[in-house]
Amino acid sequence: MPGELPLNGCDFLMLGFDREMRRRGYAGNSCQIELELDSAISPDALRKRIAELATRHPILRAHPGGWLMPKWKIPQENSPLPQVRVHREHSGLREKICDEPLSPKRGELFRFDLVERDGGRMNVVFTWAHMLMDANSAEHFVALVGRDDIPLPALEQPISTRPKKPLMERLKLARKSVLLFDEFIKAPPRSVGVRFPDAPKVQRFCVERFSLEETTRVRANASKVCGALGGAQFHAAAAMIELHQLHQRIGSPSASYVLPMPVGLRPKGSVEPLFCNQVTMMMTQFLPRHLDTTAAAVAVLKPQIAQAMRDGLIEAGVAVADISRCLPLPLYLFILKSGLRGEICSFFYGDTAAVTPLLTTFCGATVLDFTHVGATTPSPGIGAIFYSFRGELRVTVFHLETHFTAAEAETFAKGLRSRLLNL
Amino acid sequence: MIDPLEIETKLLDFLKREVFASAVVVTPETDLIASGFDSMSLVRVLLFIEQSYGFWIPEGEITVDALQNVRSLAATAARILNAR
Repeated sequence: MPGELPLNGCDFLMLGFDREMRRRGYAGNSCQIELELDSAISPDALRKRIAELATRHPILRAHPGGWLMPKWKIPQENSPLPQVRVHREHSGLREKICDEPLSPKRGELFRFDLVERDGGRMNVVFTWAHMLMDANSAEHFVALVGRDDIPLPALEQPISTRPKKPLMERLKLARKSVLLFDEFIKAPPRSVGVRFPDAPKVQRFCVERFSLEETTRVRANASKVCGALGGAQFHAAAAMIELHQLHQRIGSPSASYVLPMPVGLRPKGSVEPLFCNQVTMMMTQFLPRHLDTTAAAVAVLKPQIAQAMRDGLIEAGVAVADISRCLPLPLYLFILKSGLRGEICSFFYGDTAAVTPLLTTFCGATVLDFTHVGATTPSPGIGAIFYSFRGELRVTVFHLETHFTAAEAETFAKGLRSRLLNL
Repeated sequence: MIDPLEIETKLLDFLKREVFASAVVVTPETDLIASGFDSMSLVRVLLFIEQSYGFWIPEGEITVDALQNVRSLAATAARILNAR
C-alpha cells in the first residue's frame, strides 16, 4: 500500500551522512555483511523470500523523499524490489561490489550480490544503506532472509517510538548532552582525520579471527577485568589503548580520545529487524594517562557509563534525536560537517549482539563464514566492529588509506588481538 | 528486613517494561543472558535498584550465578540490603 513513514532522528543523521559522504566522493553511508556458503543458492528463491518479507515490512520497497524534511515514501506494491545480482568470481570483483554506491532515491536501500566461486561454493555480499537500519538489525535481517523457518512474533514496537516524556523534560535532557561536550572540550580530542580533510578516501579492512579457545580466553580476561557481562567494555578499552599507541607512533598526539559507545535500544530478545536505527551514542572520554593498561582504561570507562545512565544521557540521546528530526536536513548537514572536522569522535566502535547463532544456514546452504565490513569513516578514519560467529570472536578493523598505512592498521589490529588475549 | 520476593516482583516488572521484547516470556526463572540481557541492560538494572533501594550492588557481587535469573538477582540484592 503506498504511503509515508517517518524517519527517526538517528535515521536522519545517517541520511545526512550518506549525502555528505557522497559529496566528498565516497560510495555513501553503507555497510556490508559477507557470508561464505558451502554451495550455491538460487537467486530466484532469494528474490521470492525478500518479496515475502516486503509484504510484512513495506519499508523494504521505500525510498527517502523530500529534501528539507525527508520521509520514507512507500510506492505501489508492484514496484521493483532491490537487486539480487549474480557474478562469477574474478580478480577485483570484491572491491567493485564494495565501492559501488546504492541508489536509495530509486528504492535501492539494500542489495545482495551472489558471487559464484570455484568448487560450487558461493559468497553472499549484503550491502545496506545505514539510513535503513543499524548493524544489529542488519544481522537479524540477513538471518531472516536466509531462514524461513524462524517463527515471526507480532511486530515489536521500537523503544524510541514508545510514549515520550513531555517536551520541556526532553529539552532539559537534551541540554545534558551539550553540557557533556563542554566537559570534553577541556582536553580537546583531535582525530587523525583533521590532517586530511579533502584527500580522496579509499577504505581498507582486515578481519581478526579468534578460535573458540582464544575466544574463551578473551572472555575470561573480560570477566577478570570487567566482571560478568563486561565483554563490550573490555573490547572498547583495549581498542582505545591501541588507538593511543597508534597516535603516538604516527606522531599525532591528542589531548584526549572520545569514544562514542553505541547503546542498542532494540528490546532484548526480539528476533526481527527493526527498520530504523535503534541506537544512541553514549559519549565517553579517555585521557592519555588512563590508557596504560586495560584495567586502568576500564576503571575510567565503567563509572562514565554508570554516571551517564544515572544522568539520563541515554534518554537525552533519544531526546536529541527525537527533537532534531523536526529540523530541516540542511541544518543536519551543517552539524555533520562540523562534526567531521575531527573533534567529535576519535574512533568508531561497534559491538553487535550475538544474533549469529541463527546464521547457520542461508537459503538452504550452510554458512561457513560471516564477516562485517564497517561504514566508511571520514573522521577519525579508523574503527573496529566486534561480533561473533559460531561462538568465535571476530574483529573487523577498517581504516582509510589516506589516514593510515596498511602497516599501521595491521600493527593496530595485531596489537588489539594481543591485548585481548593477554592481560 | 526486605523480602526478596518484593524485589523480585519489582525487577520482573521493570525488565518486562523496559528491557525485553514483549514476545519474550520473562519469569523469575528465565535465563536472562540466554534471553538477550547484555551489559547495558545490567547497568540499567543496577540503576533501577539504586533508585528503588538506595544502593549500588558492588561489582564483586555481579557474578554469573547472580545473573542467572531474576530470582537470583533479587536474592543477591536482598542479601546485601539486609546486611546493611
